[in-house]
Amino acid sequence: MKILVAIKQVPERDAQINIADSGRWIDESDVNYTINEPDAYALEEALQLKEKNGGEVVVICAGPERVTSTLREALAKGADRAIHIESDDIGERDTLGVAEMLAEVAKAEAPDLILTGLQSDDLGLGQTGVVLAELLGIPHATIIMQVEVTDSGLKVKRELEDGWFQHVEMPLPALLTIQSGGNKLRYATLMGIKKAKTKETRTVQAGAAASPAITLERVYLPKKQKKTEMLTGTPAEVAAKLVEKLKFEVRVI
Amino acid sequence: MSGVLVLMEQRGGVWNRMSFEALAAGQQLAAKLGMECSAAVIGEGIDALCAELAGKKLAKVFAVQHALLKDYTSDGYVAAAELLIRQTDPAYVVLPHTYQVRDFAPALATRFKQVLISDVIAIHDGPVFVRQLLQGKLNADYKQADAGPCFVSVQAGTFRAEAVEAGAASVENFTPQLEAGQIRNKPGELFREAAHTVDLGAASVIVSVGRGIGEQENIGIVEELASALGAELAASRPICDNGWLPMERQVGSSGQTVSPKLYLAVGISGAIQHLVGMKGSKTVIAINKDENAPIFEVADYGVVGDLFEVVPALTKAVLAAKG
Amino acid sequence: MVALVCAATVGARSMGAAFSSGLHLSATLAEPAHFSGFEAALLLVGVAISAGLFFWRFGPILGTIFRSKKDTNFSLHPIGRRVWDFFWEVLCQGKVIKQRPLPGLAHAFVFWGFLAFALVSLNHLANPLGLAFLTPTGGVGNFYFIFAAIWALLVAVSITGLFVRRFFARPIWLGTKVSNESGVIAFLIFLLMASYLGAFFVDDGGTAVKVLWWTHTLTLLIFLPLIPQTKHLHLVLSPLTVFLKRDGFSKIPPLSGDEDFGLIAGKDVTQLISLQVYSCVECGRCTEHCPASNTGKVLNPKEIILGVQSYLNQSGPASDAPLLTEALVESRDNPPAKYMSMEAAFECTTCGSCEYQCPVGIQHLPIIIGLRRGATNTGAWEDTHGTKLFLALEKQGNALGLSAMERDKFIQKQGFPIFDGTQEYCLWLGCMGGYDPKGREIVADFARVMQHLGTTFGVLKKEKCTGDPARRLGNDLVFQTMAESGLKAFEAAKVQKIVSICPHCVRTISNDWREYGIAPEIEHHSEFMARHKERLPKQASGESIVYHDPCYLGRYRDVYDEPREIVKMAGELVEAPRSHERSFCCGAGGGLAFLGEERGERVSHVRAAELVGTGAQIVGTACPFCNTMFRDALSSMSDAPPQLLDIAQLTARALPKMQDTGE
Repeated sequence: MKILVAIKQVPERDAQINIADSGRWIDESDVNYTINEPDAYALEEALQLKEKNGGEVVVICAGPERVTSTLREALAKGADRAIHIESDDIGERDTLGVAEMLAEVAKAEAPDLILTGLQSDDLGLGQTGVVLAELLGIPHATIIMQVEVTDSGLKVKRELEDGWFQHVEMPLPALLTIQSGGNKLRYATLMGIKKAKTKETRTVQAGAAASPAITLERVYLPKKQKKTEMLTGTPAEVAAKLVEKLKFEVRVI
Repeated sequence: MSGVLVLMEQRGGVWNRMSFEALAAGQQLAAKLGMECSAAVIGEGIDALCAELAGKKLAKVFAVQHALLKDYTSDGYVAAAELLIRQTDPAYVVLPHTYQVRDFAPALATRFKQVLISDVIAIHDGPVFVRQLLQGKLNADYKQADAGPCFVSVQAGTFRAEAVEAGAASVENFTPQLEAGQIRNKPGELFREAAHTVDLGAASVIVSVGRGIGEQENIGIVEELASALGAELAASRPICDNGWLPMERQVGSSGQTVSPKLYLAVGISGAIQHLVGMKGSKTVIAINKDENAPIFEVADYGVVGDLFEVVPALTKAVLAAKG
Repeated sequence: MVALVCAATVGARSMGAAFSSGLHLSATLAEPAHFSGFEAALLLVGVAISAGLFFWRFGPILGTIFRSKKDTNFSLHPIGRRVWDFFWEVLCQGKVIKQRPLPGLAHAFVFWGFLAFALVSLNHLANPLGLAFLTPTGGVGNFYFIFAAIWALLVAVSITGLFVRRFFARPIWLGTKVSNESGVIAFLIFLLMASYLGAFFVDDGGTAVKVLWWTHTLTLLIFLPLIPQTKHLHLVLSPLTVFLKRDGFSKIPPLSGDEDFGLIAGKDVTQLISLQVYSCVECGRCTEHCPASNTGKVLNPKEIILGVQSYLNQSGPASDAPLLTEALVESRDNPPAKYMSMEAAFECTTCGSCEYQCPVGIQHLPIIIGLRRGATNTGAWEDTHGTKLFLALEKQGNALGLSAMERDKFIQKQGFPIFDGTQEYCLWLGCMGGYDPKGREIVADFARVMQHLGTTFGVLKKEKCTGDPARRLGNDLVFQTMAESGLKAFEAAKVQKIVSICPHCVRTISNDWREYGIAPEIEHHSEFMARHKERLPKQASGESIVYHDPCYLGRYRDVYDEPREIVKMAGELVEAPRSHERSFCCGAGGGLAFLGEERGERVSHVRAAELVGTGAQIVGTACPFCNTMFRDALSSMSDAPPQLLDIAQLTARALPKMQDTGE
């Protein structure tokens, strides 16, 4: 089984947030990048499927030169090949634009299965996978916890709200977006890094960007910074205040 | 091209309650733009639901029915919604940001060469849609760039369901042309995990108890609070060490790592071994008698006080709020 | 003593029936008057057979050692240290005696006796060939024979004592099985001595002296081939092992080349390791002091050494068969397979007691950590908590997996200046000092001490873990990343001197990082404070303070007195039953602070109970890891546990309140 894993490189979760002069993104000069966490789970799922069923895992990532470090890490963890779609203007492309870049390579690779994380840690749109499937004309399923290869294709476990799940059967080729936490991630090992040096990374140039359907106009820090708000009063008063917070801020009631 | 169309969500004739938040958003957006707002329900056997919508302030209610839409499939929903949108030609399509919407709406938008503006937390004039980036550390204003229906999904809790305006609307049946061959996925029955093992990692609300509880017999009051909130009960290490709660409920470096929406820490001082296990929580509420307890460093809301008074009062208030 | 002399003569007496003349003690050694040509030939044949058997049994071991992988980066430098160790540990038997005085002394007597006896034995065998160089009639010869006789007596007494200990007192760390071969060896040694001493009781030239002579000879010839393939091989190997051991305590050698990931299989076992495992004398000192073995865990350092030895015997040094089993295997093999399991290898706190105690120069830590490297560097070790730790180090750069912003907030709150090259010291916070609430208190208090002394300091703007837990858990990739990033940070900030509250950071920066570069000079805050103690307040608190030696400060850095000087200024120093180089671990080292639940008792609880048992009012620590381990242990032990304070806190509490820093 040939599995293509689409991964994204994102700022580290605790990156310092300084807004760039353009006002449309953060200042990247002091930011370290890492693999998007849900994509790490997608990669893990792919590696486990390969360990069970054999085949090949190809990782693909679009972005500037820096994303090759994330591809190398994926190779170190066990991917067989990497494809880097070189694009310095990825920030100017919307989801459809990025998915179109990925679709072009995916068509040529013709994998049996495409995996990706359910959303990205930076933009959090949660759509690239579904759009890619639509562009390729293959079935998809989202927020997947488990994947099982069957005679007719796949049987996957979808997560639904409130602790419900659902099994979905689908033919191949197909695309799945993987939920975080379904598997245990592996750590990169010295042996993996050494092996990765001998693996192939192919670079393809991205085509020119089409005009986007949606645009990000500006970014800004949300007003509410995390600061402990101390609630005072009698137990009943405090309880009432807490319920208010639970209802409208935390939204669990 | 005009108007706002809200795609409501139901399963087996039962609303997803977030649909009404989307409906409120749709009505408000329409009012802002001076447009009409309509709503659509997709499925089979949804007449009662459509009748309910007929009592809302809407231009039209579309009952999109087909035998192939009985169970949700992205293929079926995308095809049906595409046909409806092509026919009704709305300027905006508003959806609740549910798991189901996340499954089909991006593909639906793609059919129109559009991109869904997902998980919106506010709509300003323009209209400008506000989304959160980098796990909520940054807000971003989004706009639609070119013509075509603009797809928007709204985050849970952003709009109030009770703000939906009542009125009168006509229900129109819409039967899409669907073929069984279009639907590639075979959905199975919904299920919950059979054996209800403790999986704190997946819990969305956790009430956790620490040494401040004093005696094993006192844990009951925390259990009551947990059940009122529909929360999983967890504990810090000393509680599990003493055997007051099973080890599998331990949160911390030698126990489980959790990232719930709400972590309510009762009588937990916040040793580092504990903090590393719950630092991923979205909101932390701490109740502790020591105002210098490190748990307050990571808490969003803190209560300095006697947990034996605060906890029962809170349980009562939560039950009252839930009705 | 007289009684024992009598006992020593029993051997001779038993042969008495054959003796024509009565027994009498003379001040000269009786020697057979004449050896026939047949006897000389018989002796030569006997020696040839004995030596042949010896090499037949020793050859394969020697072969295994030589065929093992070469140690890269091995050098005899510093030769002075090696000569000294040889002198002290081998010739003086310093370690043997120091760690177990009575049996140690008994062993030393046997050893020294053997040395004294070497000349006698050589002369003994040379005699029938007419090549004797010592004669009882010569002044030198007579003196030496009597000198050797005194030693023979001491050896006979000592070996009897050791025999009684092994077969009747039976301390558990010698192993639960009594090895009969030890008994045979002990008997042979005894017989060797008795047959020598007996010759002082008989006349020259009689049958009796001949019988004694041949008894002595035969014993010698039987003894020799028994040495290899038993723990008595240490007689031959351990002097060499002590001389050749790797320089430095818990010295983790760099991996050699692209195919080296640690100790995975026989092919990875180096010559030094081979030599060391064959030198094991099975005394069990390593296990006796091991915190894991003492708290019901699988790990048993002695069995690891014997496990590698038996692996080499069975599979050889070129084998690809894994050294460790992934699961615990119950088997009747000897040594039991469970000791060579991943679980056992990952139970080590790297406290270093085993390596410190070992009298024959075995370096357990490079072996145990080597086994971990083999498992971790290849991904074979799958542990939820371990993986979480490595991912946290990869992503957040600290062992606790917290956001680096938490450290920034702490620095801001404390008003710590950022190191800019103008300050004297770079204050290294470490993960505990930067993120742990208790560790932060220690750092804040130490900062107050520095301010009080007028010492300027700054902290690094960004700081990552030193890689200590990754190093000890065998993750070379993460360790290298951390070390290189740390070295770069120090260089960029132009740091000259570093001080830290964490012995783990101090050790890793000053020692382990050397594989990748030289870090600026670093010291532990105990050393810093002791140097400035004249200017620190003396407290007449009268409180009793029991000081716990952290492994990474004591055994790893040889710092015992400095923290005690600080403690003494704050109150009355109380020593724990196990202290200084014999201190018992808190359970946190070796990355174990970040791993899951322990099998058996918790190491921290055992140690905390011991500290509480001293009745001291305060438990004094000098390591934030010990501190956090004891914090949990003490609070679960009693409702009114002793206070737990770091030495920085013990000092800072006496400083005038509200130091104006001028910030």
